[in-house]
Amino acid sequence: MTLTAAPAQLPLRPGSATDVFAYNGSIPGPTIEAHEGDRVIIHFRNELPEPSTIHWHGLHIPATIDGSPFHPVAPGGQFDYVFTVKPGAAGTYWYHPHPHNRSGYQIAKGLYGAFIIRADDDPLPPSIPEKLLVLSDNRFLADGSFDFPESHSLHGRIDTENGREGDVLFVNGEVEPTLAIRSGEVQRWRVINASGARVYRLALTGHSFLHIANDGGLFERPVEVSEILLANAERVELLVRGTGAPGSRATLQAQPYDRYVPQTRPADWSRTRDVLTLQYSAEAPAAPVILPEVLRPIPRLDPALATDTRLMVLTQGLINARSMDLGRVDVSAPLGATEIWQIENLVGMDHPFHLHGFQFQVLDRNGVAEPFRSWKDTVNVPRHSTVRFVVRYDDYPGKWMFHCHILDHEDMGMMGVLEIT
Amino acid sequence: MTRRSRPSRRATLRITLAVIAAALATVAATSGRPDAPADQDPGAVLRGRVLAISHGCGDCHGGIANPAAEGWLAGANPKAPPELQFFPVGPFKTRARNLTPDNETGLGRFSERQIFNALRFGLRPGETPDVEITSSTPGQGNFPMNPKYLAPPMPWPSFRHMPDQELRDIAAYLKRGVKPVRNPVPDSEGPPDFWASEYTPEKVGTWPAPAFPTARETR
Repeated sequence: MTLTAAPAQLPLRPGSATDVFAYNGSIPGPTIEAHEGDRVIIHFRNELPEPSTIHWHGLHIPATIDGSPFHPVAPGGQFDYVFTVKPGAAGTYWYHPHPHNRSGYQIAKGLYGAFIIRADDDPLPPSIPEKLLVLSDNRFLADGSFDFPESHSLHGRIDTENGREGDVLFVNGEVEPTLAIRSGEVQRWRVINASGARVYRLALTGHSFLHIANDGGLFERPVEVSEILLANAERVELLVRGTGAPGSRATLQAQPYDRYVPQTRPADWSRTRDVLTLQYSAEAPAAPVILPEVLRPIPRLDPALATDTRLMVLTQGLINARSMDLGRVDVSAPLGATEIWQIENLVGMDHPFHLHGFQFQVLDRNGVAEPFRSWKDTVNVPRHSTVRFVVRYDDYPGKWMFHCHILDHEDMGMMGVLEIT
Repeated sequence: MTRRSRPSRRATLRITLAVIAAALATVAATSGRPDAPADQDPGAVLRGRVLAISHGCGDCHGGIANPAAEGWLAGANPKAPPELQFFPVGPFKTRARNLTPDNETGLGRFSERQIFNALRFGLRPGETPDVEITSSTPGQGNFPMNPKYLAPPMPWPSFRHMPDQELRDIAAYLKRGVKPVRNPVPDSEGPPDFWASEYTPEKVGTWPAPAFPTARETR
């Protein structure tokens, strides 16, 4: 398929058009679906007035087609991203630009989309309807254009500190859409946080979730949760059980989540925001669905095999007190090595940490062992806390980025380079 | 917008954030370790100790002038009454942070150069790269374009006039001469510009100080 990034005008909100960047003219861009084992060929055409890339967030593919800042595509240029999806990769991923210093701007302008990988042996009953929820937010000026303050203004500095948040929340490009469900039905929600900085603490009124997958696909067993914290670039899959009565409705809400330093904490941070409405049809309840108790095995990465521990000290906009330099290699490791990464956040706000190219397994958070295994490519490191994960550098040598996924932080240099040789 | 008020009952308090001197040339952009020791001068720690005691670091950061005291330089005392665990600065609360080299709650992960930069330029170590700074002009000589400053009443505008070597000695003492104490201190508050509009040359003078004598001085 072809993905063309280009300027466009879209009516993001009723009654006004906004100058945007869009893939193939839509926000989000087209949802890409592939199966494990598929060969994927994507022709990228950059019709933007600036360099861009497409980063296949979370996919385990060669470094040269990772769409990192090492491989920009010039304005008017083209690039073919060609890769084969590995077995075991089934999950919910997404794609977005990753050019040097401009990721936040281009994604906020509308460049992001979902990438779903399916397994032939998916353990969930195929009768379960599937819903994709790509979450984003934005901020507008009175004339309908996006609000991007001058970077050295106070407003711009607050955006840099917090990451640029918007007061208008979108699901698949729509504001507070309505999702239909039948009483008794079970739905599989794939949720992607495509916001540059907003962290979603999601709860569905009157319902709990069965949490079945993280960034890199299904767990071994479903986990019952009352809410989900979804940091930037993280994904989850949730089973929503239609326990409501016919004709009733529920609201998916973004509950308050304090990830901010006191200096720039928004005055309305504690507000609960409605994300979407779940509307039950009038039909009589559907027959119960039998859900599997076991989803799939996840091979354990053994931390005892780790040959090194990489200390990453996060402060505000910096990793190990340095700004990103594309000409520098921050971490060098041999292909196939297993290593532990220890991410220490020294400052008073959260930093979601993303490693390109390799899915990892969280070992512990502040010394508390992770209760179950899952594949992750992005992990939130809350203020003044430490997260450790184990990773194995399989298959693909080359230079890989790691960074804070608050896009303003990434763009200001809160990023480093891992070289696998 | 925000008033800088030093609580009168604390008028004599001076806070010293200990600083750490890093051998500027060798600390190296090439060292990936934020805690790489650079200055191994054994006298630095003892000189820094005298400076830390004599400059009243402990008045705010714990222990007054007694390095044998419990909580020496460990930051706001969690056992104190809540109203004594912070300094009101206008509408904001400043909390003396933990200056011991504890990795999680103190200065353990900051380099001596970062602590030096905090004392010399008032720059928050957690917001400022570990680099040698050669200018006080935003955007020049590695001085940040949008500097973020330590919260008042930390008297860095005064302490920055100490000689380089003394600031490095204080940093050496804090990093290498004090035992780490785990004491998580909540973050200080402040305006969204991190005090930039309060710490202008018009309000706090320049470093280095203007040539002697100024119009208010005499030979």
